[in-house]
Parts: sequence; structure tokens; C-alpha cells
Amino acid sequence: MTPEAVSLAALICFAAGAVVAIAGFRVEALRKNSYQFLLVGLGVLLKTVSIGMHCARSDSHLFNSPSEVYGLLAWALACSFLVALVASAARSLGALILPLVTVLLALSHILPRESDAPALAQHRFLAAHILSAFLGYGLFLTACGGSVLYLEQARLLKRKMFGVLFRDLPSLERLERLEILCAWLGLGAFTIAIATGAVLAHDLKMPFWTEPKIVATEITWLIFFVLLVGRAIRRLNGRAAAKFVLAGAALVFCTFLLTHPSAKSASTAQTPAQKAGPA
Amino acid sequence: MSALRLEHALRLVGLSHHKAPVALRERLAFRAEDMHRALGSVQARGFHEAAILSTCNRVEVVAVAREDNADPLMSLRGFLSEFHGVPESEFASALYELSGSDAARHLFEVAASLDSQILGETEILSQSKEAYRVAAECNSCGPVLHKLFERSFFLSKELRCDGGIGRSQASVSSAAVALATKVFEVKGRKVLVVGTGEMATGIVRALKAAGVGEILVASRTESRAVEFAEREGGKACLMQHLVEHLGIVDIVLVSAAAPHYVIEPRHIQAAAAQRRGRVLCLIDISVPRNVDPQVPKVVEDAFLYDIDDLEEVARDGRREREQVAARWRPRLAEEAREILHALQDSGTRDAAKKLLAHAAAQRREIFAQLNTAGMDAKTIEEIERLMERLQGKLLHGPLETLKQAAREGEGADAAAWISRLFRLEADAQQPSAGAGSVESAAPAAVPPAADTLVARSAKNAPTDRGGFPTLPDATRRATS
Repeated sequence: MTPEAVSLAALICFAAGAVVAIAGFRVEALRKNSYQFLLVGLGVLLKTVSIGMHCARSDSHLFNSPSEVYGLLAWALACSFLVALVASAARSLGALILPLVTVLLALSHILPRESDAPALAQHRFLAAHILSAFLGYGLFLTACGGSVLYLEQARLLKRKMFGVLFRDLPSLERLERLEILCAWLGLGAFTIAIATGAVLAHDLKMPFWTEPKIVATEITWLIFFVLLVGRAIRRLNGRAAAKFVLAGAALVFCTFLLTHPSAKSASTAQTPAQKAGPA
Repeated sequence: MSALRLEHALRLVGLSHHKAPVALRERLAFRAEDMHRALGSVQARGFHEAAILSTCNRVEVVAVAREDNADPLMSLRGFLSEFHGVPESEFASALYELSGSDAARHLFEVAASLDSQILGETEILSQSKEAYRVAAECNSCGPVLHKLFERSFFLSKELRCDGGIGRSQASVSSAAVALATKVFEVKGRKVLVVGTGEMATGIVRALKAAGVGEILVASRTESRAVEFAEREGGKACLMQHLVEHLGIVDIVLVSAAAPHYVIEPRHIQAAAAQRRGRVLCLIDISVPRNVDPQVPKVVEDAFLYDIDDLEEVARDGRREREQVAARWRPRLAEEAREILHALQDSGTRDAAKKLLAHAAAQRREIFAQLNTAGMDAKTIEEIERLMERLQGKLLHGPLETLKQAAREGEGADAAAWISRLFRLEADAQQPSAGAGSVESAAPAAVPPAADTLVARSAKNAPTDRGGFPTLPDATRRATS
């Protein structure tokens, strides 16, 4: 059994979960959180096994090829969705998140597995840094999904459009809670990612704070921090908060593009010797 | 003793909100404390089994008639009339009388709330369960009603899982709660009721059932506010403090019947500092409207719904429920036919089992009288086998006839004739447990010996693939 085969099984689970989530708007029998929970849970489990097998075989924490990056992002997003599903039973969120997870994982199977970028340097914090950063992306994107649903539900409520979508979407309050939960968890994950990244850069004598992706990450972190503080002091609620989350998610996307292996700055964790290339 | 077929024996007589006005329904309603007496009275009028469903919307008696009951419907009508002291002529036109599979279908539809005033309401299922429980408690629920009720509960549950019928809102009150629930979870929320109209009462009750917290009642007439608050468990407050109240509540229900807007954007804007961006749900059921329609446009976190919006949600809900009901009605009718057939077949199966058990008992009795002294084991075994073959030869014809009759839908009559010819009822001193014949459907006390005999024979009797008892192998060989 190869990691690719296990990952393919995970892809099937996520795709089935996406179909169930979308069909759930029409088919009453599919309107159960447990179906999505089982499919996504199984998918996450399989993808975790696949990542584990990949790491064991390559004997490193290599996530520098496009295939690996998309695969890890899909896994992180699925994990975040699972958290959201358990915490708020927002089944309809699956219709947004799971197709994205499926596409990302499918891309990871299509895109090249080899990268031109040299291998990342080994460090004890490297795995923690990568995992926390990707989980942060996943959680912020899930918060963004919650915000999209919030704005849509608010629009339907304002315009008095009482259709299928209106009936299936959760209450505004529940969607807001979901946003905030994901934002808190994402902020925590990003904090760990920044801290471990700083240690990593220090140990490997690499520039850190001036790196464009680090700057983008910090701005994202700040946006979500402001959102959560604003929320805590009750100055930022409802639609304003949802729009704030969307802005944060846009920055997450920029940060992800900067982290992408094809970006020049992806070689952050390379030692100066590696950067210099083979003699 | 001939048996009535179940199709004729199962009877249902009742009246409901469809035809009978509440004034009539209340005269014919059964009180809980009268149920035992009423069920006993039905049974005394020539019925094996009986159950009574008495709710605010319907009074129904479902019963399984004895074979000697010449006119079961008249018996039930007479029972209703005599028990309540209401002349038959007063309710005859509102009465519906159903029998056999139609009665079973109606029972299924009632439990599934397809016959309710509000399609899909859940109360009727628990009321049906209560009727069944009481009937069982009074020993008036035998195998037929037991199966019918159990099946109706199962189907009702399945129908609810199918969705639509319980998911959508069918009344204005539930629509109001549903809309508020889409904004936030209403549990523990504060409600301000402005005005004390009749419709406000219904919505406040629905909101209370959904778990809202404090209810403030404001009215131009203070005494009305106090009265409403006392009746509905709220707190009366002054209209002059409207802005203050708007600052602390989450749901505002307006039913003021004022000729002008009672709540305008400026009121909510004035309360904005206190609200700190919390979402406000306004429900205006007044005509003319008492909340300025500009409110949700000016105030971002305010959502306003008027009576038309509530009606639309309720109408959509009713339409959806109707669709589910239309989809399920044929299925329930089919289920009713199937269950009646199954009950009929079980009657013929029981008759066959009884016949075999009866013959085996007779054979053993005769064999016990045989003087076997001086005979060796082989001879005794040979005699025993011969007797078994004789029994098989004799029973082959009746059993085949019974099987044939069951296939042709006349199993109940055949079972009754078999029972009569072989004196199976007299032999067992009790009616059989099957449902194919009305006689066999009675759950009357069974003498232990007979009961054991029937149970043992039923257990031992081999059956074919359709569950029909067959002759033992040795006997079958002998008859072929």
C-alpha cells in the first residue's frame, strides 16, 4: 500500500462528503451531520496515515513540492471542518469546505511530486512549524466559510427570501460562534507557527522578520487578533465581524501563495549553504 | 361456528374536526377516568378487541367484532349514543364508519398525523400511543389491534424521518418562532411584547415553548399590559420607557393596533449604545403595521417581519407538508392491505398448527392405551410409525385444502371450518391466537394445559417456506 493509494482513498471520502453536503440541501435523508462526520473523519484519518507513511518513507518532513503542499492544505482544511462540525453542527458549511478540500487533494494527486526547490533543512521545530501554519490556514479558511454563510443568511433574512437555502443554513448566532471559534483556534495555530518559525530562522541563521510571507502572516495574525479583541469588547459583531474575517481570509490566501513552493521565498528554511546551491 | 373475515370484523367508527363541530366532539369525548368502563362496554357489545382514541379533534372507536355480532357498526354507534347519552340522530351525519383495510389505513393516517388539523403535528402520535396503552391495560387489545397500533407507530416515525412534515412550520406562531430561530437561538432571550392582541398570545406561547427568558409587556393601556403579563407569565412595563426596553431585549413582538408607527428607526438608534451591535428581531403582526418598514434598512443588525412574511413561511410549510402527505397516503393504504393479509394468513397457519397438534395428541392418547406388554421395541416402533402414517393420510386432505384456501384469499373461512369440523376450539377450550378468524383473535384467558398444548404443537409443527405448517416427513412419505 503506497501513501498515494491511501491518499486516493481519502480523496474518495472527501468527495463523497462533498456530494452528501450538497445533496443534503435537496434530499432529506442526507440531512444528518453524522454522514458528513463519518466521511470526513475517515478521510482525515486516511490522509493522516498517508502523510505519516510519506514522512516515514522519505525520512523527513518534506512539504516543498506543490503536491505535498496542496495535500497538506486539504488535510488541514478537513481537520478544521471536522472541528467546526463537532462544535457547531453547521452541516451546510460542508457544501463550501468539502468541495474545496476535494479539489485541493485532487490537485495534490495531479501536480508534480518532485520540486526544483532544494530539500528543507532538518530541525526539531520544522514539523511543528509546518503543521501549525497549515492548521492555521485551514482554520482561518473555515472561519471564512462561516463568514460567507453568515453574510448569505443575513442577506436572506433581510430580503425575506425563505427558500431551501434559508431553511438549511444555521442561525446567525451559531454561524458567528463558529467564526469566532475557528478564528481563536487559527490565531493560536498561527502564533505557534510564527514562534517556531522564529526559532527555526534563528537556529538556521536565516532572515525571518523581513521575509514577505512572514510579513503577510503577521498582518493576518494581527487582523484576526483585532477581530477577536473587538469581539471581546463587543465593538465588532455581526456583519462587520464577518467582513473582517473575509479580509483576514484574503490575506491568508496571499500568505499561502507566498509560502507556495513555486514562490521564490519558499526556501526560507534552507541553510545559507543550501541557498548557495551545489558547488 | 363460522368466522367473519377480518376485513369485515375490523371496524372503526368516529368523528373528527373534518365534519363534527367542537360542540358535538366535546359531548362525545371520553374522559381518561371513563376509559376502562367504556372499553369494557364495547367488548360487552360483541367485540374481542377495542381501543378508543379521544382527543380534542377526534373521537374514534376501533374494534374487532365477534362472529356472532351481526351488525358491528350498529353496535358501535349504539355504544357511543348510550355511553354519552347523545341520540344517534345528532351525530349520525358527522360519523364515519370504516372497516377492514380502510379502517387500518385510517388508523395509520391518524397516527402519522395525516388526518390532523395541522398536518404533521406531533401530539397525535403520543395520543395514539396513550389510547393503545390504555387498551392494553384493560386487556381489550388483542393480536389484531396490537399489530395495527405497533405498525402505525413505526410508520409514523418513518414518515417523520422522511422529512418535510415535521421540519416545516404550519402556523403563524410557529413561523414566528422559526424566523427568530434563524436569527439566534431563542432560548433564554428577552422578549418585548408591544400591544396585547389575540395573535400576540399565540406567538408568545410558542416563544415560551421554545424557551425564551424574560417577557416584558408594554401597552398603551397599563391594565391590559398587567393582565397580559400575569396571564402569560411576563412583566408589565411602561410604553414611555420603550427605548430603554429596546436596549435590552432581543425579540420585539408588536401587536399594538395603533394607527401609526410605534417603533421607528430613531427608537432603535437611540438604543444602539445599549445594544452594542446585538442583533434585534422584530415581529410586527399589527395591521396597519406598527413598525416602520425602514427599520431594517437603517439599522444593520435589525431584522423585521410582518404578518405577510409569517403567513408566507407558514404557507410554504403547509405546502411542503401536503406534498409529503400526498406521497405517503398510497403507501399507508398499501401497508394497511398488507398487514390485513398478514393477519389473515396467520389465522390459517394457526388453524393448521392446531390441527396437527390436535391429531398428534389424539394419536399419543390412543397409543398410550395400547397394551404393549410382550412386544419388542421394534414392533412398538413399527406401530407408532403406522399410526403416524395414518394420521398423515387423514390430515393431508384438510391441510392441502387449507393451503389452497389461503392462496385464494379464503383462508379465514377455511380455518373456521377446519376448526369446527375437528372441534379444535372445544378441544383447546379457547379461541385460537390467530387473527384470520375473529374467533381466533380473542385474547381470552387460556387454560394452561390447552395453552401449553397449542404452544408445543405450534413450536413442533414443521412449516413450509411460506410459514404454513406441513406434515412430518414420515407422514408426508406415507401420504405420497
